[in-house]
Amino acid sequence: MAKKKFMLGFSPELVNEAIVYRLVKDYDLKINILRAEVKELGGRLLMEVDGKASNIKDAAKYLNECKVDVQELANYVEKNEERCTHCGVCISICPVEALTMERPTWMVRYDPEKCIACGMCIDACPPGAMKFRI
Amino acid sequence: MKRTVAEINQRIKDGDVVVMTAEEVIPYVQSEGVERAAKEVDVVTTGTFGAMCSSGAFLNFGHSEPPIRMQRVTLNDVPAYAGIAAVDAYIGATELKQGDHSEYGGAHVIEDLIAGKPVRLKATSNGTDCYPRKDIDTYVSLNSMNQAYLFNPRNAYQNYAAGTNSSERTLFTYMGKLLPSYGNVTYSSAGQLSPLLNDPTMRTIGIGTRIFLGGATGYVAWEGTQFRTNVETSFGVPMGAARNLATIGDMRDMSPDFVRALYLHGYGTTLALGIGIPIPILDEDMMKAVSVSDEHLFAPVVDYSVQSRNRRPIKQVSYAELRSGRIELFGKEVRTSSLSSYLKARQIAEVLSERIENGEFTLTEPVAPLPQDRSQGTLEVRSKEDAI
Ligand code: SF4
Ligand code: SF4
Repeated sequence: MAKKKFMLGFSPELVNEAIVYRLVKDYDLKINILRAEVKELGGRLLMEVDGKASNIKDAAKYLNECKVDVQELANYVEKNEERCTHCGVCISICPVEALTMERPTWMVRYDPEKCIACGMCIDACPPGAMKFRI
Repeated sequence: MKRTVAEINQRIKDGDVVVMTAEEVIPYVQSEGVERAAKEVDVVTTGTFGAMCSSGAFLNFGHSEPPIRMQRVTLNDVPAYAGIAAVDAYIGATELKQGDHSEYGGAHVIEDLIAGKPVRLKATSNGTDCYPRKDIDTYVSLNSMNQAYLFNPRNAYQNYAAGTNSSERTLFTYMGKLLPSYGNVTYSSAGQLSPLLNDPTMRTIGIGTRIFLGGATGYVAWEGTQFRTNVETSFGVPMGAARNLATIGDMRDMSPDFVRALYLHGYGTTLALGIGIPIPILDEDMMKAVSVSDEHLFAPVVDYSVQSRNRRPIKQVSYAELRSGRIELFGKEVRTSSLSSYLKARQIAEVLSERIENGEFTLTEPVAPLPQDRSQGTLEVRSKEDAI
């Protein structure tokens, strides 16, 4: 079993496709939608997928065939250790506790595995240590 | 038991001074008792590292050929105050770079200089007979300037209110990002390690006290702005913003590890600064004061959605509760965040301990005491007559 996070980008004509349904039904994936946006230029869906590694791979292939832009979100948000002062401002902001205060060292640890790339910490971090990659 | 600063300095010289941090001394006093601890320990070091908006630097650039009396000065496009002598300027931490929505400000100029980076200096002038030049565009660095020292009107607040937000929208404040409907609480104090919480009546800290400032050796210059003594206390320690210090120190000896520019979204720039103060253990009372722990230090929680200077505290919470990561507000658990770094506060107290043990840092007696009785006034829209 594997757990991965993907950002899916749709063109407007794909917005009505039952993509999530197909992923669940045909590829036996457990899907947790973390963020969804639909705009004039299409939509974006941030999701966590849980399932057999081979099924995840096939599902990604199916999505590519449907012309969905699939991006795996590994380390989408980065913490710059040089800039971080370990204040802890971010720890009450992060909705999934990807940023936590380690005791008794009082160092703030970032777990990219848990991060859902919501961006909440980015404008909250005073020295600018949290940044979106790209 | 009585001990003088002179005796402590002799022990520093002899290499047998006993120093502990304000954190280490807590369990020591708990196990040994105040009397024994006061006998054994000469100095307790404190530390804090947090946002201190009232900070800035005096700079002297040196004279150009032909000379200029600078009237408008920018450093990396951040305006500096030049209404003093010809090539002197003051750059404040919260001054923003010209242009819209900049996240760069005076604090960043200060951090860049301390990190050894060159900074672009632009100045203009109307020109005078003795200072004919009308503009200059060049680069300066800590090495090129004659003087560069932080002179901060308000640092190291004794204590400070924690912030929360009852409104329906996220607030961006100098206390950080406050999530809607009491979504979080932010606070800003090193608590048990904080300098002025360990000497609550400022018995040993006064004008001229030698301190750790941004990595360098600095001094207490004056009472800080908005210094006040009439704040409610618990266990003899103020429960809100009370005393604070005006500090001074040479930027050349500072380190970016302890001077860090911050940008608080929706508020602006500010400077995070590391300050450490050694407390001489003159007697048992002093030992008792420095052994205070987070359980006995309190801060009020105030609602920043109330846009008034009279924000009534929602409740008082201890730093032990704040530091646990969660406090209870209206029967609900709310997550807490610190704006100041406890890790850095601890490092500062440790570095200061080492410097004292190595004989690199000796203690001072205040040249003059800070006010024992001071209240804080407000600003009203008033007539000329009423202002007197
Ligand atoms: S808010 Fe930024 S500087 Fe503070 S602990 Fe989090 S990542 Fe580090
Ligand atoms: S981007 Fe969101 S989930 Fe990721 S660390 Fe920041 S606040 Fe947490």
